[in-house]
Amino acid sequence: MIPPSVIEEITRVVGKDNIFVSLEERMCYGYDGTPYAFVPDLVARPASTEEIQAIVRLANTHLFPIIPRGAGTGLSGGSLPVKNGMVLDLNRMNRILEIDEENLVAVVEPGVVTYALQQEVERRGLFYPPDPASLKTSTIGGNVAECAGGPRAFKYGVTRDYVLGLEVVTPQGDLVKTGGKTIKSVTGYDLTRLYTGSEGTLGVITRIYLRLIPKPQAIKTMMAVFPQLDDATRTVTLIVRRGIIPVTLELMDDRTIQCVENYRHLGLPLDAGAVLIIEVDGTPELIEAQSGQIVDLCREGGAREVRVAASEQEREDIWAARRAVSAAVVQIKPTKISEDISVPRSQIPNMARKLREIAERYGLSLVIFGHAGDGNLHPNILCDQRDREEMERVEKAVGELFQAAVELGGTLSGEHGIGTMKAPYLKLETGEAGYAVMLALKQALDPNNIFNPGKIFRGE
Amino acid sequence: MESLATASDLLNQCSKCGGCQAVCPLYGETQAEPYVARGKIFLIKNYLEGTIELSPKMKEIMSLCLLCKACVDNCPNKVPVDQLVLAARREIAKELGISFVRKNVFQHLLQNNGRLSLAARMGYLYQHSGIQSVVRKSGLLELISPDLAKKEGLLPRVARRSFRSQAPKLITCSRPKIRVAYYTGCLTNYVYHGTGLAVLDVLGRNGAEVVIPEQWCCGIPALASGDEASAVALAHRNIEAFQKAGVDAIVTDCASCGSMLHDYADLIGTREARIFADKVLDFSQLLDDAIDFQPGAREVPVVATYHDPCHLRRGQGVHTAPRKLIRAVPGVELTEMNEADRCCGAAGSFNLTYYDLSTRIGKRKVENIRKTGAGLVVTGCPSCIMQLDHVLKLEQSPVQVMHLAELLSMTYEKGEV
Repeated sequence: MIPPSVIEEITRVVGKDNIFVSLEERMCYGYDGTPYAFVPDLVARPASTEEIQAIVRLANTHLFPIIPRGAGTGLSGGSLPVKNGMVLDLNRMNRILEIDEENLVAVVEPGVVTYALQQEVERRGLFYPPDPASLKTSTIGGNVAECAGGPRAFKYGVTRDYVLGLEVVTPQGDLVKTGGKTIKSVTGYDLTRLYTGSEGTLGVITRIYLRLIPKPQAIKTMMAVFPQLDDATRTVTLIVRRGIIPVTLELMDDRTIQCVENYRHLGLPLDAGAVLIIEVDGTPELIEAQSGQIVDLCREGGAREVRVAASEQEREDIWAARRAVSAAVVQIKPTKISEDISVPRSQIPNMARKLREIAERYGLSLVIFGHAGDGNLHPNILCDQRDREEMERVEKAVGELFQAAVELGGTLSGEHGIGTMKAPYLKLETGEAGYAVMLALKQALDPNNIFNPGKIFRGE
Repeated sequence: MESLATASDLLNQCSKCGGCQAVCPLYGETQAEPYVARGKIFLIKNYLEGTIELSPKMKEIMSLCLLCKACVDNCPNKVPVDQLVLAARREIAKELGISFVRKNVFQHLLQNNGRLSLAARMGYLYQHSGIQSVVRKSGLLELISPDLAKKEGLLPRVARRSFRSQAPKLITCSRPKIRVAYYTGCLTNYVYHGTGLAVLDVLGRNGAEVVIPEQWCCGIPALASGDEASAVALAHRNIEAFQKAGVDAIVTDCASCGSMLHDYADLIGTREARIFADKVLDFSQLLDDAIDFQPGAREVPVVATYHDPCHLRRGQGVHTAPRKLIRAVPGVELTEMNEADRCCGAAGSFNLTYYDLSTRIGKRKVENIRKTGAGLVVTGCPSCIMQLDHVLKLEQSPVQVMHLAELLSMTYEKGEV
């Protein structure tokens, strides 16, 4: 609990209109994109770095948890107030401070919505590539804290590849500045990378320097239908070996295709083993040549049908299938446990087989889709949160699924983060020594454990 | 909509993805989670599970919804958020009651056309007798509340007599193609007579015989406040009155009324209600689908932009017909604004209850209008017109607002039939 006198002080800092104390309002800051929810003791909505510093000092003195929060769209429980405390809502800090066209850098506050930044830079012929599925609502601050990815990651990388510098309020209330507008910087430890993906456990990110690149001139979209999942993944390898790096290589397995088709009737073949959505970008000449090569390679890889979008409308139609996935799969059962394991690309068929075998053993509904280019798969278990017995089976299956990913040389999380949901499994991947290093960092930087407790580390 | 208790499956369809944040006008202004669909759905769910009660705070949060359906349209699972919020309001009204003023308006004033006209007449007297100017100069309203002074300014000039008391009960033409009943809506009846006259003019010139039956408020203000019983009573009166009119279609110039009249089918559920609802057409739909609209020869040289009323675009799926009709007007150049279908902030009486928030939403709309360079905004809902007119004036914009019917009527030379 936060003492009333402290709440009064926080109110003085942010103003009474920027604090939520009622149960109803607080509850609305206790959930995210996962099926879980908690209730924070207080919600504060600061508008400046100075206000945040003042609040953090209060937390560090009176020892209550702070949970930084953006749009609350995360899928690992990263912004859940599992130990109650104060949710620090950063949405009011939503200014794009600068778009430096000469140095190709954007300077933004954490509450800027990713899509809003992308639109703003694209108007100037520039490009900020990271594209998590939630980009129309998720914030840059949240993207940096979780190191969000997206379909374009295969060619363009993930959020961390665009973070040049940060300003971070430490658990002591000090302001740390890391990196800046330069591409190169090797001054001491790479704190920028430490804070990127730190899931709100090491401080509050209050300013972000992002690298921009020129916007690709044109884009071409294709969809290829394969009889077997293996054919699709083999084709991905064929494409890459030919020296072509597509922007996206989105994979949907047979069950995903069936769900989407039953839900939206887009004309997808119900007997297909897998579908790949492939996109290339660049100059019009380049994408024309590459798309031709890709069509040939898909045929060589066993595709029974390849569709090349000839218009913006046809491109939309192809993407409609991918976009319908989330809504379509919950028609099976209402609760969606969405994982994001990543394996080396060549292991995708093995991983898929393993996933199905696990789901079958526990009697669960499972669909697989994801980013075939970078091996980042989204196995989604469809279940019903109200069914206790089923949820127990889900938990066991998830544990095995992580084990399998690590055994195949993969990782627990490609882009969602560890949060609360994967915390019990972290050591599977890091081992004792790796875990100890991470924990030592956390304890050194946040000795009172006020920042987002209960995340990443289990029980510490 | 069935009762809240049976809504559990609908509530569970919300996966809490947060996608509604991108389109909710209230979230756009406040960035506050309790005001976005996801927050409200979560709270309703918790109420049903017994975690929270229908507190005054809950009432406030549920009242902070424009019912614009933007979230429903954008939702991957199509959760009927507006219906769930309405069901919650109904439950809250039962538990906590509704305000004395609202109760009297819904249960007495709106059910009795004589009293309603009398109230409008008092409004007219207030504005014209000099009392208004005395009150304004005295600063009395500011003294009570600065908000009240602003709200008072939002009220449009009430007409001296109601439109229906002046218009003929039957407007006929030679060899009519269709016989329609005109549902005028309260704003046209008491405030925007120009819209009503334009509707009659355009319909008459395009071969429609028009009757104006005795009619009552559509009931949407009562329903939106959780008073379903009053809404049902009004629906029964209207269905009965229009049944007697023996028409092919029921046409309305108000997006909100039109949407509500369609909803009678579910609200009342009888065969009569369904027949009634099936006949309801928006003014633009009638012209575009049922009768072949022919504009007059007079040019209207203006750059115009079109605002989609929520209850027309999402409430009734009407968005191409109005644009087609505007393009048919000689001299008009139609230019699209950004976010043409984003709510203007009027939302019935929302703009009175939450004046500042409503105005902020309206200012975003006005900014989108300004960027088009248009000199005229055309729309299909008197409620939107009232809001747009008010906010455009606040922003000292020279842009005019007009109902589609008025624009179409301008193409005819006076006396030309």
